[in-house]
Amino acid sequence: MSTQRGAMNLMKAQRLIRVCVIGAVGAVLAACAPSAPPTQSNAAGSSPSDTLTVATTTDVVNLNPLLGNSRTDDWVTDLMYPRLLTVSANGSKEPYLATKWGYSADGKTGFFDLRNDFTWSDGQKLTATDVAYTINTIKTQNPKGNVVSGFMSNLGKATAVSPTRVELQLNKPDSIVVPEIGFWMTVVPEHIFSKQAKIDDFANASDWVSAGPYRLSSIAKGQSYTLDRVEPYPMAPNGKPTLAKVVFKVYPDVNTEILALKKGDVDVIANALPPAQVKDLKATSGISVAEVPGLGFTHMTYNMKRKPMDNVLVRQALAHAVDYNSIRAVAVQGQAVTANNSPITDSLKEFADPTLKEYTFDPQKSKALLAQAGVSNLKLTMIYSLQDPVISAWSSMVKDSAAQAGITIDLKGMDRNTYLAKTVAGDYDIYAGSFAIMDEPVSNMALQYLPDGAINYSQVNDPQLTSLIEQAQSTIDKGKQKSLVQQAAGYVNKNMIDNIMYVQNLNVAYSSKWDGFITKPSELLSIIDPASLANIHQK
Amino acid sequence: MSIMLADLETEPVGQQESAAGATWYAFRHNPMGLVALGLMLVLVLVGLAAPLIVHYPSGFTSDVLQSPSSLHWFGTDNLGRDIMAEVVWGTRISMTVGFCASLLAVTFGVLIGMLGAYFPRADTALGMVVDLSLSLPVLPLMILVAALAGPSLGTIILVISFFSWPEVARVVRSQALSVVNLPYMDAARVLGGRHRWILRRHLLPAVAPVITVTVVLTASRAVIAEAGLSFLGMGDPSSWSWGRILYESQQSGSMTSAWWTTLFPSAAILLLVVAATLIAIAYNDARNPRSRED
Amino acid sequence: MPPLAWYALRRVAHGLVTLWFAITITFLLLRLLPGDPATAIASTNMDATMRQELLTKYGLTESLPIQYGKYLVQLVQGNLGTSFSQSEPVSTVLMARLPWTLLLTGSALVVTVAIGIPLGVVAATHAKGALDRIVQVVGVVGQSLFVPSVGIFLLYILGLKLKWFPIGGAHDENVYGIAWYLNVGWHLVLPCASLAMVSLGSYVLILRSTLIESLGEDFCVLARAKGTPERIVVWKHGLRNALLPTTTLLGLQLGFMVGGSVLTETIYAYPGVGRAIYESVIRLDFPVLQGAFVLLAATVVAANMITDLAYGLLDPRVRTA
Repeated sequence: MSTQRGAMNLMKAQRLIRVCVIGAVGAVLAACAPSAPPTQSNAAGSSPSDTLTVATTTDVVNLNPLLGNSRTDDWVTDLMYPRLLTVSANGSKEPYLATKWGYSADGKTGFFDLRNDFTWSDGQKLTATDVAYTINTIKTQNPKGNVVSGFMSNLGKATAVSPTRVELQLNKPDSIVVPEIGFWMTVVPEHIFSKQAKIDDFANASDWVSAGPYRLSSIAKGQSYTLDRVEPYPMAPNGKPTLAKVVFKVYPDVNTEILALKKGDVDVIANALPPAQVKDLKATSGISVAEVPGLGFTHMTYNMKRKPMDNVLVRQALAHAVDYNSIRAVAVQGQAVTANNSPITDSLKEFADPTLKEYTFDPQKSKALLAQAGVSNLKLTMIYSLQDPVISAWSSMVKDSAAQAGITIDLKGMDRNTYLAKTVAGDYDIYAGSFAIMDEPVSNMALQYLPDGAINYSQVNDPQLTSLIEQAQSTIDKGKQKSLVQQAAGYVNKNMIDNIMYVQNLNVAYSSKWDGFITKPSELLSIIDPASLANIHQK
Repeated sequence: MSIMLADLETEPVGQQESAAGATWYAFRHNPMGLVALGLMLVLVLVGLAAPLIVHYPSGFTSDVLQSPSSLHWFGTDNLGRDIMAEVVWGTRISMTVGFCASLLAVTFGVLIGMLGAYFPRADTALGMVVDLSLSLPVLPLMILVAALAGPSLGTIILVISFFSWPEVARVVRSQALSVVNLPYMDAARVLGGRHRWILRRHLLPAVAPVITVTVVLTASRAVIAEAGLSFLGMGDPSSWSWGRILYESQQSGSMTSAWWTTLFPSAAILLLVVAATLIAIAYNDARNPRSRED
Repeated sequence: MPPLAWYALRRVAHGLVTLWFAITITFLLLRLLPGDPATAIASTNMDATMRQELLTKYGLTESLPIQYGKYLVQLVQGNLGTSFSQSEPVSTVLMARLPWTLLLTGSALVVTVAIGIPLGVVAATHAKGALDRIVQVVGVVGQSLFVPSVGIFLLYILGLKLKWFPIGGAHDENVYGIAWYLNVGWHLVLPCASLAMVSLGSYVLILRSTLIESLGEDFCVLARAKGTPERIVVWKHGLRNALLPTTTLLGLQLGFMVGGSVLTETIYAYPGVGRAIYESVIRLDFPVLQGAFVLLAATVVAANMITDLAYGLLDPRVRTA
């Protein structure tokens, strides 16, 4: 008996060693991780006063800027690869790498005139051939997740006619292609990227070449991404960006991220703060909060391919059953403004139509409209992404207010993938979501309301609306365009084709010891756009 | 946490019917066990009587993230909802999830464990499957399945039970193994009892005490698993479990700036799991004559 | 065949079967559950033909057995595939993450055992006494804690208020040489403590009850009768016998623990593989998911195999067992 026990115990003794082996293997592997490079001479020179640490909740997925992935990818790659145009605080396009842009008189040729003082960090000049290469690569290869290719349907080919001029050959006049390529596309170095046969397979994971103020020098996956200063950078004071290093640090949990900012482990929180935390952070000494104007909007669409939402009265009834003011006041903590139920919000001042009004929250009117439409016991499902905390927060408010009008809404919060799949398949009654950046009214309306539009989540196919948008698309006359856009927006509002609820102003937080941030609209540009980071300094 | 279950393996096999009375007697005289049992009963009551205690937490108020006060004992969340209401109703959902998941896992685990012990030929294969399942990274697999199958209470229950049964099977198997070769089992077989009859009438009662404790412990672990999945956004967004309260607190960044959004649901989880574990310990102590003598 | 070789062969075979099981389970889970990888990589402007192209490219159009066969062949060649979203080999993606998870769980295990043994002994030798009750309560509470809540609490008190520890991450930038190792250790303290707290509770409880039992066994009674000091009886005879079954359980649960660090890694912004799995689930990055499960399983299997073999080499009795 006892010898048997002894043998069995002996067997089990191995497990103790096993535990130790796991520990040892872990320690050895971690120590072997390529994280301890030899001390570099320039590392000693960098003191905290010229290093900016930026916190983000999403990890970098892919450093190839032609592939679309996480927001952090954009922030990092934007510091290395310039765009042709940028957006000012009032939503209008401004020069960046391009100094002039526009169309020939017949509208069949678009052009960009470029600055001549941009250089890649390996010494090569950045010229029009890089720009033409990038445009043509996107057009021919349609890289995954790239948003620019969606605007290129009328584009033939881009040609570098001189080192500082690119011309775009168009199949027919198209007013959106130049501004959209200008803003959405990041220019990549042809001499590096053209070595790749298939752009989708290029991870751009090492030996980066930058034409921005900073250049990636080292990465620790899942944790931090370090960029070093690049000189000269023509848009920095005296050609020298003010920071020696920019470090992006990943904090998957926003609570930890906020603690890190409060402690001083990081200098900036780049992602938009949860609305409920803005007040607390504003009151924290040593921390400043900057309001970043929103460029997008949050909306609900009613699937017009399904009965009874094909009936305008039902859609109007649904729109009257939403308590817009409370949603903005509570769920978004007052950090949002009304969109007047118009797809052209006040963010685009030159196009917005001030006469459009938001639907009132009026359950009685809603009931009356439903009765008029002959619909009773309306039961609908609403889908939204659980990864969107603000919509998740107000979804139950929509449900409750609709209940007051006798409408039952079944909430279907789902993870992002299922949500996308359902959205693409049009499998929903009500869709709730956000449109992050709306920079060109015509192209956005084309995407949303043309029958084959990529984000036509209302499933609308209305000849009158289609005609208005197509006319606006094919004219390059500003005044005419504006009038057509406003007519279309009015049509959307009146017929409740898209329930645009609010424009959310985003808030980002930073340590008060820093000064000189330039605020640009949208989470994409925010306060960590290259123009801002090349110029900030400690107080 | 699952290590507690292993405690049961070393239990001697007694004569169940006569032992039950003695066990209950010993249990009653253990203050720790009684307090835990009382706590558990209170939690069950709160879950059952939720509608009588507070209104279902819904809608919103403008009293956002208010700290605890006489009006809102546990404070309010980022939509101004009463956290006490959420915790009280969460008791109901969390305990339901725990109980259902545990019931499923235990049913399956007991079946596999008993079959393995009773049919030596199947034992090698079943034992291997159980051992292999135990070496899988459970939480990531749960996340994967929950994400792919879509978040709902049903999914959560199935997922948790799907990854909890091997533990139960292992414990039941080793307990059953110590019984199958006892004389009365042999006698039953010699007398020509059908397998099903023997399994039900003789083997099941022999492992019953183990099952009792297993249900309680598996349920409490299921509650923690549910909280973990919900915290990662894989929970059911339309029912109030303790995990969902924590998830909303996390999403709104309130975990430290509004500590009450984290503290109360976490404390509820702690209370439930502590109570369940203490009951299990006290029950074990009560059943084990040796520790009873001390 | 010499017994040692036979033993080694059996161990390796057992390890391989375990690995194959883990691979097959994950493969099936990923294919049979709803969810379409093309959705995850598809952008809104992607049309049907492009989707089809992508599916073909990643071999997702073929029948299940063929996909499975091809996957196994690839694995044998050491090829884990290419990440959907990161355009990099899965092995590159994961090997950057795995060491941190091993460091975190490994150190948590060591801490658990190092603190758990004295606590368990104290409790068992004072069974039913006040010390025993305290240890039991601490153990029960420890294993009942919800890690994220504890984590954020520790970060708030020890990180923000007292400034003893950094908030999140595995190490700082611009730290090299010896300082780098210290820096890693400094960042490890809090996540390791949270993870250890949970496993410590259950470890102490089980060690306590096994030790109580073992101290009542004949060989301990005999030792006492022979006049052996109680200290020696407890530490040498009792503990040695109690330690083994309890540590067996820790070993069995390696997979559970390695995978269970997702929540800890999330709260502490620790760049481990659990977090990578979570992110891949959100992006439905099938190759990374598959690779991660294979790697985690392989780690557990390898650790078990190495120790078993080492043990077999040292102790002839094991080989015949």
